[in-house]
Amino acid sequence: MKLTRREFSAGLAAGLAAPALMRSAWAQGATIKIGMCVPVTGPAAEQGLWAQNGAKLALAAVNKAGGVLGKQVELVIEDDQTTNPGIVLAFSKLAAQSDIVAFLGSIRSTQVQAMAPDVIKVGKPVMIGGTNPDLTHSGNPWLFRFRPNDNYSGRVIADFGVNTLGKKKWAIVHSTDAFGTAGGKALTEALTKMGAPPVLDQGYANQSQDFTPVVLAVKQSGADVLGTYFTFENDLGIFARQLRQLGVNIPWVGSPSVVAVSSTKLAGPALFGTYGVADFAEDSSDAAKTFSKSYRDAYKTAPDNQSAWPYDAITILSAAINKAGSTDPNKIRDAILATQKFAGAEGEYNFDKNGDGLHGYNVVKNDKGKIIYDKHIDFND
Amino acid sequence: MSASDNMIPAPAVRSRPLIVRHLPYFIGAAVLVTLAAGMRFDGYILNILLQATTFSIAVFGLSVVLGLCGQINLAQAAFFGFGAYVVGLGTADLHLNFWLCLVGACAITLVAGAFLGMSTLRLGGHYLAMVTISFQQIVTLVMINAIGITHGPDGVANIRRPELFQNSQSYLAFCVAMLAIVGYLVWHLPDTKLGRAMRAVRDNELAAGVNGIDVFRTKIYAFGICALLGGLAGGLFAGGFAYVSPDQFSFAESIVFLTMSLLGGVASPIGSVIGTGLLILIPEWLRFLKSVPGLYLAIYGLFVILIIRFMPDGIWGFVADAFTRWRAHTKAPPAAAALQLKPATTGGDIVLEVTGLSKHFGGLKAVDGVDIAVKRGGVHALIGPNGSGKTTTLNVLSGLYKATSGRIVLDGTDITTMAPHQRTAAGLGRTFQNIRLFRSMTALENVEIGAERRGNTMVGKGDDALTERAMEALTFVGLGSRANELISSFSYGHQRLIEIARALASNPTLLLLDEPAAGLNSTEKLELHELLKRIAAQGLTILIIDHDMTLVSEAAQHITVLNFGRRIADGESMAVLRHPDVVSAYLGSE
Amino acid sequence: MDLVLQLLFTGIGIGAVYALVALGFVLIFRATNVVNFAQGEFSMVAAYLMVVFSVDLGWPYWLSFLLALAGMALFGVIFNLGVYYPLRNRTYLPVIIATIGASILLSNSVLAIYGPQPQVLQGWFDTPGIQLGPVYLDSQYLLIIAVTILLVLFNFWFFEKTLLGKKLQATSQDKEMASLLGISVSTMIMITFIYSAVLGGLAGILVAPVLFVSIQMGSTIALKAFAATIIGGFGDVAGAIVGGLALGVIETFGAAYISVPYKDGFAFLVLIAFLVFRPQGIFGERVAEKA
Repeated sequence: MKLTRREFSAGLAAGLAAPALMRSAWAQGATIKIGMCVPVTGPAAEQGLWAQNGAKLALAAVNKAGGVLGKQVELVIEDDQTTNPGIVLAFSKLAAQSDIVAFLGSIRSTQVQAMAPDVIKVGKPVMIGGTNPDLTHSGNPWLFRFRPNDNYSGRVIADFGVNTLGKKKWAIVHSTDAFGTAGGKALTEALTKMGAPPVLDQGYANQSQDFTPVVLAVKQSGADVLGTYFTFENDLGIFARQLRQLGVNIPWVGSPSVVAVSSTKLAGPALFGTYGVADFAEDSSDAAKTFSKSYRDAYKTAPDNQSAWPYDAITILSAAINKAGSTDPNKIRDAILATQKFAGAEGEYNFDKNGDGLHGYNVVKNDKGKIIYDKHIDFND
Repeated sequence: MSASDNMIPAPAVRSRPLIVRHLPYFIGAAVLVTLAAGMRFDGYILNILLQATTFSIAVFGLSVVLGLCGQINLAQAAFFGFGAYVVGLGTADLHLNFWLCLVGACAITLVAGAFLGMSTLRLGGHYLAMVTISFQQIVTLVMINAIGITHGPDGVANIRRPELFQNSQSYLAFCVAMLAIVGYLVWHLPDTKLGRAMRAVRDNELAAGVNGIDVFRTKIYAFGICALLGGLAGGLFAGGFAYVSPDQFSFAESIVFLTMSLLGGVASPIGSVIGTGLLILIPEWLRFLKSVPGLYLAIYGLFVILIIRFMPDGIWGFVADAFTRWRAHTKAPPAAAALQLKPATTGGDIVLEVTGLSKHFGGLKAVDGVDIAVKRGGVHALIGPNGSGKTTTLNVLSGLYKATSGRIVLDGTDITTMAPHQRTAAGLGRTFQNIRLFRSMTALENVEIGAERRGNTMVGKGDDALTERAMEALTFVGLGSRANELISSFSYGHQRLIEIARALASNPTLLLLDEPAAGLNSTEKLELHELLKRIAAQGLTILIIDHDMTLVSEAAQHITVLNFGRRIADGESMAVLRHPDVVSAYLGSE
Repeated sequence: MDLVLQLLFTGIGIGAVYALVALGFVLIFRATNVVNFAQGEFSMVAAYLMVVFSVDLGWPYWLSFLLALAGMALFGVIFNLGVYYPLRNRTYLPVIIATIGASILLSNSVLAIYGPQPQVLQGWFDTPGIQLGPVYLDSQYLLIIAVTILLVLFNFWFFEKTLLGKKLQATSQDKEMASLLGISVSTMIMITFIYSAVLGGLAGILVAPVLFVSIQMGSTIALKAFAATIIGGFGDVAGAIVGGLALGVIETFGAAYISVPYKDGFAFLVLIAFLVFRPQGIFGERVAEKA
């Protein structure tokens, strides 16, 4: 009994340690390594693939231009399984490789929260896409955000609906997961501040098979404009179709998923005429257009925000390391924070002291299945 | 509930004092704790070890409820999450002491587990599976939606650890120490009274009930312990990772826990540790397959099927099985003194008095107003043709059926409304027509369960006294030398003798034998007759139900005859057998 | 009132989906006494087969449909031989775990082969639905309800009127007796798995146009369908249908009038209430006596 357990544990430790030792032995110094935690399996595997595409595209560009500090840059990818324990393990596995200089974290806020204690321990810069405002506001100096946070998406949706569309009776529908709850809250706050508190605030659970009760609630609330935070595209597709079937045709301004490529494909005509805030829009700037072109050339499909932020993250991170002239974490940190007026695919990066790079959103419109850029709304605070 | 087939019997060896035998375990555990505290791990290995350690404790819970007691629990992740949230919210939001929160986590999960058990454990099998799934889903929904309390999907961050173990490495050492302690307790649970009761319930609920075990309560204990260990593990997990969120405690995680338990071997804590370790490590090892999404989880699923197929007792069961068989055959059982039967004599001259007993199934009057008076000492027989209601009577007497009306008094105590296990405690022992032994146990362990009857004055305190009593009973029926063999290695006739020994070990006031001669050959019948004589010689009253007229007429002094649910004759043996109604009842029916 | 009618229609529609999947559960449970945790994946696999035939290969819808169902029949054979048959003499626990393993294997194999993107599958009809007074009737849901009714009739006819159906019934009730009567028990179990796989597949193909084709499409439905079987009384075909419909309606109304986020909870609350107060289900026999 004791023997077996002891042997088992010893074997376990040895089995774990051996590959790590081997890796560090033959991988010294030839390249600059950047770690990336991304869902390869699990519900967000789809988005994970696009994130990898975006990162690899930027990587190719950086390496073509001579790499970083005279070396080629290499991406080390670990699967976070779309779960919190998964990303903790994936990140700590990457962090154990001492030659990795910086990391790309998750687009999911809860995952960033789960890995945050380890990030502080490791003390190296981590680029993130999670949009929960708290992430960069809770004293963790190593998180840098390459998407505008939810305060801005809520404010932009409210601003566009109230000022541009002129609608004041809002119905809000949001997922009850972390992303949807935070977004719904931000939108409610922004609307209340603008003197137009929502008439309906309706949550739903992810992977619902039916949205009839939600649609009927929207219909009955008498709202003249709809604001949404949907997490999964198939939920959004079902909701959109049932919304139209039950005759609700009020203007709709939603979070990025409304204008995501896969939702457009799934929901078809049901999403025609909707507006979505998008941290990424193909026509919003020259930088975005350049990114789109090379993405389309490489992958034969349209890019979206899932691939745009890792693209910007790799680009800016590489530039920052070059500027810092060293892989010292503190120097990289200073260089990232010093990045101002950088034209990225997602928009113009002006890093603030919290590590937030972007402060506004694009508004785009689904015009008969084509996503077209409408306007950009930026805030200064 | 069915007997599960992937259990290994725990060997019953009690030669050396407990502390000496277990010293190596504690030395081993101490070495492990020291290693955990002293070895230098990087963050990745530390996280994996911490996860494996805390998960193992939760899986221990499953080895109790599933391995020992045979009940399914598909909500272990919910209990785990319960514990994690109590510690998380307690330390992060309420700023309470970690230890206080950990104790609170254990207490709350224990209550939740026992409560859930109370509401559903009378069912079992698939129903229990479904209730636990439902509980799991509701807990997850509450975690996500009760934002005011749980922070909803954001989860709980900044969970604190105790002052003493701020450092991750020392916290890991602490968790390993907890694992060792809990592992020790779970390892020894099967050899305690409660543990034996759980195993008996798992192997055969009916037999467990009539051998003095409160089946329902035993199940609740098992479920409560399982939930408590889940809560403890969750609390430790929360302290270790400093952040918890609802998606960590979903139904999928409960499935993972269950798979861990079955993979390693459900019957033993060692199996739990092996299974947990492997299921945390396998996906890590298979990460190299990550270039194709889904491939490694697909392989994981395939492994689950293959392991269930080819290693039914799990990995540890596979190893332990060979070892146990080898040991069971070589270990010589201890010698035993002669069995003493001293039936209680609190009542009067009549040991069992049945008055106006009826049992109706809908319109069918299986037993209708029967009176039986069994005199103290000697052998009383209850006979009747097929369908006469004698087996129904026996089942009403032992409490498997509730009487429609009438009264049953055993040695001065009214037992009419008692549950089977209470009747056993009151002094009723019985055997079954179709043998009901606990098949995963040895002969000795089966008989020990009988000896454990509450109110058994013939057995002293402690495990050794129990073993001694059981050995005496086995020796009495002539099987002492094979005490440590598994039930499956005994012939049918010998199994019947073990069943009788199990009843005798409890020193009953009245012994009910249901067709003891059924299925025996003529030599075995003779042996049985001899055995009955020796039992009666010690003053124990026997009520025997049988077809076998030879056995009945030779062994019994008094006979009661039933037909069509009514008593048609009663009195001294030879007189009753010549009674015209009896003759016609038998001739007419055959 | 309009609201109530609309909710009722949706509830019955979604309930019919649960009922279809529940039917597959019940058949396998009756024949083998085992709950098949991979039943939801049966539906998922069939929907993907449909996408392969009708979208990727561009074959006619009816041909794809028949091929997908044929594929499911074959799948049922493989599932029985690979997962259930080797474990047939063991208790229900190992079999449950094996089906859980199969469910992980299936969903991730499809993920590995087909990638994670949800797919679109067209419905049978070109018109998405009809407006009947104040109520909008989705054409695909109408089809699902119609198929459910037909299946109830078919099952009644099949199990009560045909020799094969009676043999299947005999097998599910008493295997020993059935084999004494010369019925090949393993053949009957094989037929049950084939039928159940085809039924599960049919459910998957029918709901795919409404819920889209995704890896997770089966598992959420399966859990509800499982609840439906218990509410209806385990092992009862009519019970599964009624249980499924009841669950769909309760859930929809609960979401509309009590809470949307807790929608999934209603199913399980109802279930626990049933288990505590009426464990035999709506139609079932007493479990306590059986234990």
